[in-house]
Amino acid sequence: MDSLLHWTEQLLPVAGWTALTVGFYLLAKRVYRRWSRWWLMPLAVAPALLMIAVLALHESYRDYIRGAGWLMLMLGPATVAFAVPIYEQRALIRRYWPVLLVGMVAGSATAVAVSWGLASLFGLDESLRLSLLPRSISTPFAMEVSADIGGLPDLTAVFVVMTGVLGAALGDVVLAWLPVRSALARGALLGVAAHGAGTARAHQIGPVEGSVAGLVMVLVGLLNVCLAPLLVSAARLAAG
Amino acid sequence: MTAHALARQLRIALRRSRLVQIGLLVGFWLAGEAVVRLTGLPLPGGLVGMAAALALLGSGLVRAGTLRRGANWFLAEMLLFFVPAVLAVLNHREFLGLLGLQILLIIVLGTLAVMAVTALTVELCCRWGIGGHGQPSALD
Repeated sequence: MDSLLHWTEQLLPVAGWTALTVGFYLLAKRVYRRWSRWWLMPLAVAPALLMIAVLALHESYRDYIRGAGWLMLMLGPATVAFAVPIYEQRALIRRYWPVLLVGMVAGSATAVAVSWGLASLFGLDESLRLSLLPRSISTPFAMEVSADIGGLPDLTAVFVVMTGVLGAALGDVVLAWLPVRSALARGALLGVAAHGAGTARAHQIGPVEGSVAGLVMVLVGLLNVCLAPLLVSAARLAAG
Repeated sequence: MTAHALARQLRIALRRSRLVQIGLLVGFWLAGEAVVRLTGLPLPGGLVGMAAALALLGSGLVRAGTLRRGANWFLAEMLLFFVPAVLAVLNHREFLGLLGLQILLIIVLGTLAVMAVTALTVELCCRWGIGGHGQPSALD
């Protein structure tokens, strides 16, 4: 009887916070479908509603994550899911991989340089600056890189998500302004700059854009994990 | 004969059921995590699972139809799995002031710069025919 009570106590927050997270997400999606404003993006609205709920119930971030944190683990199988569109666009990728590689390296270098430059300009402290560096790659990679280079992984996760939300919205603006005609460039733009959220947007624009964004997102993450040790020595050198 | 028919039935069920395919993708991920734990690779388990899935698709052992419906579901609902990460802001109330605005500015400007550089690099490479076997891009 006691153990049953114990189990209920353990399961209740998991069920409750998970249901609330999924519920707010579905609601936010419906709202966005009705009024498509960029600031109504589900990735902005759902967390905002949840934050209000957490604060209203006098709970903490730790209570919430203990309940709904397992949802973040599902980014693992979501990464596996990219195998399908990548496989289906293999002919395209085989043909254009040098172009995509050049774009990825240029984009990643820009991400690191601009983040570091502006963060230094604003006088942010070192752990914050390092946490900002891997923000344009997808969460699992970014947290890995952040830990490697001496940033704070949970902060990096927040920056990654902010980058995704803003990136998916900014993507439309940039695509309207820049003279990019090829689907390859449109996909790469969203995949390199706005990882998962950008890729989701790219899938809405078209199948080629979506596959390219998914591939590029994964490869940029990989590239950054491999280059992280180099990155940190460069950053240290720049910091003097 | 019956075993053959059973295998056929199973394959058809697999191609229809989104839930089973979602389970399969989770299986790939768990296997990837196990490999990462055992070997100490500095990679996310999901990536190892993806590499395994790609290898199986490429070798023809697994057909794309076996994973497609599950994969499409994950790709469509992926944003849900990012939602809990955002709440970490609750632990960092210092972001509610000037610091938050500075970080926002860094992210916006950084993202714009990355987008412009990436898109223009790829676009110019395509136009100059690098990697496209000298042909103009067929992707206009």
